[in-house]
Amino acid sequence: MTTGEPANASASHSIDPRGPRFAAWLTTVVLGVVLVTEWWPVLLAQTAVFAIGAFAGPGFAPYGVLYRRLVAPRLRPTSEWEEVAPVRFAQLVGFVFAAVGTVGFATGVVALGAVATAAALLAAFLNAAFGLCLGCEAYLLVRRLGQFGGRTAH
Amino acid sequence: MVGWWVLLGTLAGGLLLGLLARARNGRIRATQQARTAPTLPAPVRELLDPAAELTLVQLSSTFCAPCRQARAVYEQFAATASGVRHVELDVTERPELASQLGVHRTPTTIGFDQAGAEILRISGVPKLSDLRAARGGTSPVE
Repeated sequence: MTTGEPANASASHSIDPRGPRFAAWLTTVVLGVVLVTEWWPVLLAQTAVFAIGAFAGPGFAPYGVLYRRLVAPRLRPTSEWEEVAPVRFAQLVGFVFAAVGTVGFATGVVALGAVATAAALLAAFLNAAFGLCLGCEAYLLVRRLGQFGGRTAH
Repeated sequence: MVGWWVLLGTLAGGLLLGLLARARNGRIRATQQARTAPTLPAPVRELLDPAAELTLVQLSSTFCAPCRQARAVYEQFAATASGVRHVELDVTERPELASQLGVHRTPTTIGFDQAGAEILRISGVPKLSDLRAARGGTSPVE
């Protein structure tokens, strides 16, 4: 693999994999702060960050912008590229949990807020520390449960 | 105060899960009860190459970065080992296929011999050296 930009980098189909890892560490810290302080506006902001990453793509995600402006120039150019689709999927999973968590904390259902935030934190931490994509692991399982649900509903 | 405990518990659980996943990642497991060709789902049976001694069928999904890394390793292995073929099967839209094969996560790769019998399974991203060692017989599959 060459160190240059891949042919399709301009089309944002692939990104520097260290970007999402950096974003995952930031997310871990933010969600940790939310768990301890139960301050829902911070979680709301994180929900918005997830939403941008999931729906607009990692090219627009605030942590990704931070990575490209501040961190990437100090690192050696990457020789590896990662597809955008898995990253967007992970952000979507994070968005769902963070949204539920925000509703929980904001409406005073602290247990709901804590459980949802902890789930998002677990996924972010596994991604940051181990490069493990919980969404990838759980995708087939979730699909199967969805199918099962669909079948029993008929 | 409770928040601190939830935070600590989540991080500890994550550490445990992560280490477990890392230990399991890419390990070559010999199949105990071989599944023979006629019971295989048709889309998998069609992929098997009768000319190859070992066909590696990699089950992948769209949202899966390790699937891409695994593909690179298997392609290099197949290109440098004789009698080995690597094919990929996207199960994103066909999760029922994955459940028929008893596969719960992607990437999972199933190795079939010439007769179409399952001989091994690998979840995650394998090391090229492990694949070569298993193939060369210097280090038998676990």
